[in-house]
Amino acid sequence: MRWRYILHIIGALIICIGLSMLLPLGFSVYYWDQGLVPLLQAMMVTVIIGLSLAIAFRNANSKGFVSHREGMAITALGWLAAGSFGALPFLFGGVFSHPVDCLFESFSGFTTTGASVLTDIEMVPKGLLFWRSLTHWLGGMGIIVLSLAILPFLGVGGMQLYKAEVPGPVPDKLTPRIKDTAMLLWQVYLLFSLVEAVLLMFGGMTLFDALCHTFGTMATGGFSTKNASIAYYDSAYIQTVITIFMLIAGINFSLHLQLLRGKPLIMWRNPECRFFLGLFLIFGLVTALSVYQANYPSLGQAVQYASFQVASILTTTGYATADYELWPSLPQYLLLLCMFIGGSAGSTAGGMKCMRILLLLKQSYQELIRVIHPRAVITVKLGKQVVPPDVLNGIWSFFILWLGLLILSIFLVAATGVDLVTSFASVLACIGNIGPGIGGVGPTDNYAMIPTFAKWVLMWCMLLGRLEIFTVIILFVPEFYRK
Amino acid sequence: MKIVIVGAGEVGFHIAQRLALENKEVVVIDKDPEALKRVSEHLDVQILQGSGSNPQVLEEAGIKSAETVLAVTNSDEANLIVCFFVSFLAPGIPKVARIRSEEYNAYREALAQDPLNITMVINPDVEVVNSVLRYMSAPDVEEINEFAGGRIVMVGKYLQPDSPLKDLRLVHLPEKIGRKRLIIAALMREGQLIIPKGTDKIKAHDLVYVVCEKKDLEQILKLFGGQVHSLRNILIVGGGKIGLGLATALDNKHYNTKLIESDPERSQYLAARLNRVIVLHGDGTDQELLEQENIGSMDMVITVTGEEELNILSCLLAKRLGAYKTLARINKFAYMSLVQTVGIDHIVSTRLAAIYSILHYIRRGRVLSIVSLKGEQAEVLEAIALETSDIVGTPLRELKFPAGALILCILRGEEVIIPTGDSVIQPQDRIMILSTRKNIPLVEKSLMVKLEYF
Repeated sequence: MRWRYILHIIGALIICIGLSMLLPLGFSVYYWDQGLVPLLQAMMVTVIIGLSLAIAFRNANSKGFVSHREGMAITALGWLAAGSFGALPFLFGGVFSHPVDCLFESFSGFTTTGASVLTDIEMVPKGLLFWRSLTHWLGGMGIIVLSLAILPFLGVGGMQLYKAEVPGPVPDKLTPRIKDTAMLLWQVYLLFSLVEAVLLMFGGMTLFDALCHTFGTMATGGFSTKNASIAYYDSAYIQTVITIFMLIAGINFSLHLQLLRGKPLIMWRNPECRFFLGLFLIFGLVTALSVYQANYPSLGQAVQYASFQVASILTTTGYATADYELWPSLPQYLLLLCMFIGGSAGSTAGGMKCMRILLLLKQSYQELIRVIHPRAVITVKLGKQVVPPDVLNGIWSFFILWLGLLILSIFLVAATGVDLVTSFASVLACIGNIGPGIGGVGPTDNYAMIPTFAKWVLMWCMLLGRLEIFTVIILFVPEFYRK
Repeated sequence: MKIVIVGAGEVGFHIAQRLALENKEVVVIDKDPEALKRVSEHLDVQILQGSGSNPQVLEEAGIKSAETVLAVTNSDEANLIVCFFVSFLAPGIPKVARIRSEEYNAYREALAQDPLNITMVINPDVEVVNSVLRYMSAPDVEEINEFAGGRIVMVGKYLQPDSPLKDLRLVHLPEKIGRKRLIIAALMREGQLIIPKGTDKIKAHDLVYVVCEKKDLEQILKLFGGQVHSLRNILIVGGGKIGLGLATALDNKHYNTKLIESDPERSQYLAARLNRVIVLHGDGTDQELLEQENIGSMDMVITVTGEEELNILSCLLAKRLGAYKTLARINKFAYMSLVQTVGIDHIVSTRLAAIYSILHYIRRGRVLSIVSLKGEQAEVLEAIALETSDIVGTPLRELKFPAGALILCILRGEEVIIPTGDSVIQPQDRIMILSTRKNIPLVEKSLMVKLEYF
């Protein structure tokens, strides 16, 4: 492990984070609001610290490839740095009384969780709100993937970094060079974001609101600039646009890329995508039918609200147009199930990912076959591709770790005195990068009243969820540090 | 007419044998002196030792004056190289190559173009798969062959004692069958092939060959008596090219297919390629495995491993445990007549398939397809009647057709005619003729004698 080299890279990454504060600064200048000074201060501090790290370790041994372990360390530390420095604008702006709240908001942003501790969002200066949404957008496609695309020196061994940040069960490299892959992914991401922002502006949003909500949608984050979230805009058009783009963000971006390259049937052929969209359709339909008449008088409205909420939770975005805690228990149960499942691998969504669920189901079915035919040769296939056994083993250990950490974290949160339903829901909503859960953290509530220690636990959960456990948990395994 | 055969293996040997019997000039090339010795001892053909992929050897064999080249070595690549050099040395002469690999067969157009210009690619594995599927389409018959793109079938089936056709003279047949048209092409009684006349009687336990339209087949089979069975549970033993080809054809259909393969790596590969077919790792002669997989309820057990002894054993075991029908892949011609007597229902052979496709190609007079009846005592020729041919324009009863030969069916455009004595063949009609082997040259002659004038 070349720690000096790692710190050098982290330094460069911190500079990037600092420079990205220029965007909210622009809005702050435009609106001439209270966010100007804190953003400037935060940017100065971030860039200076980043520069000094990068310069102090500039002579580090950078020869050869980034190893698997170094890749994990860079990614994990990079995310910790991003979350911490991202909290500075909130800290200097005095948005929260307690520094932990600043960190919580920042981590929630970068990990695209969207769990907020802000009680009155609309009071916060626009520049800071923009930063809050921008953290979503940066974290959505991934800060490491971003730096792979823009930092020239990361090209060598970039695959290790890419694998650490975009773990997924089966990594897909779209181009021979990882730098081009990262670039392409960001281009697609940017393209969809622009389209959505323009569509939202047609629906009557200002440029500022349109961009912030686009960031929240495309990154499947969930921060809004309004206290009432999307419900503020009582517009079927806006809700439909956001529903569609949440679903787009929940699909593997390499599929979008292939679609744009002129393979129109790719979505239908891809088993994971079919599973994901199938879940959305079935859950959406059942939800719509159960809230029809019970909560909404017209079928059209029932479909509109149900599909929005199912898409929002399934893609782990967490936008709300309705208080689903007032719905019957069947749709509530389905939404809870969505929290576990999440979006597709290679998308910006969180959760366990459709791919894993699909493969676990397939393997379990194959095991049943094996019971009936003891000598049968069993393979798990995704489309026409056979999934190798080590990938399946990886998924099982992910599944066990995910559940284990969920259980452990619920225990820790419950130990601080939070009621059981809220403990469960908050941990699930954070490890799945969703945001709103049920109980005390339902769609109309927020995380402000959660005790400080529990907030630390939840931040930890968000990071675990975003980097899909292994990259984070590996830092706590002693073997990792052995020579 | 000179034919150069590269490869003196089983296929090369048997083609050379057939062609030599038909008085053709044959040169056989092979690297292996042993294989050549066998050829020279048994057949009246010229032999040449050397590699067929060596252009010098090809020249020595007189490739420039040859009429056709057959590349039938065991190696696809060697066959391709033979064709490559032949098209260089003697451009324009027809080339037939045996190509078995799926990968090459997926690019057949490339093989047919420059620089290879292969006239005909034969893939015996695919043909064997097709003939197994044909057997499966009518499981209760002994033999089934298709003509005219599948519109006409000829089936061989044993007449059951409860059949209404029992002890019937053929002249009375039309009264029994009503509107349906069929022709009794041949009878096999106690190992003897009879091309029947109107006064002959059909007896119980005769193997009766019937020609009819495919759409009437189901109805006509009922006349033979016995139960009609439909297939559902299929067990394939052996996951080679044929096993995989079959399993792929049966995959995602209404069959419950199981495939047994003994090589662990190959079974992984098979499981990866197949969807609903259950791949089992084990031995086709492992009784415990067969019982575990409920072999007694199998409608058909198909053994297509590369080892024929194993195929035969598995079939016998399956039969004893209660499987309804069995089919074995056999390569050694010596086994073929033996196998029927021990109770295996059908046999298929890649070599036989290769030989038939090549013979079909070689035979002159625009013979379109060729099929052999059980025991190979007779063949069915499918041909187009040429304007200049003797058989055109005269009612069949007045035609001087060689004895032991029979016109089974006439196809005129879309129309199918099961002929009577009054039928007249018109030019461009497609006709199917059944003939005993020794009469084939005579039939060929009457089909095409005037062709020589062109």
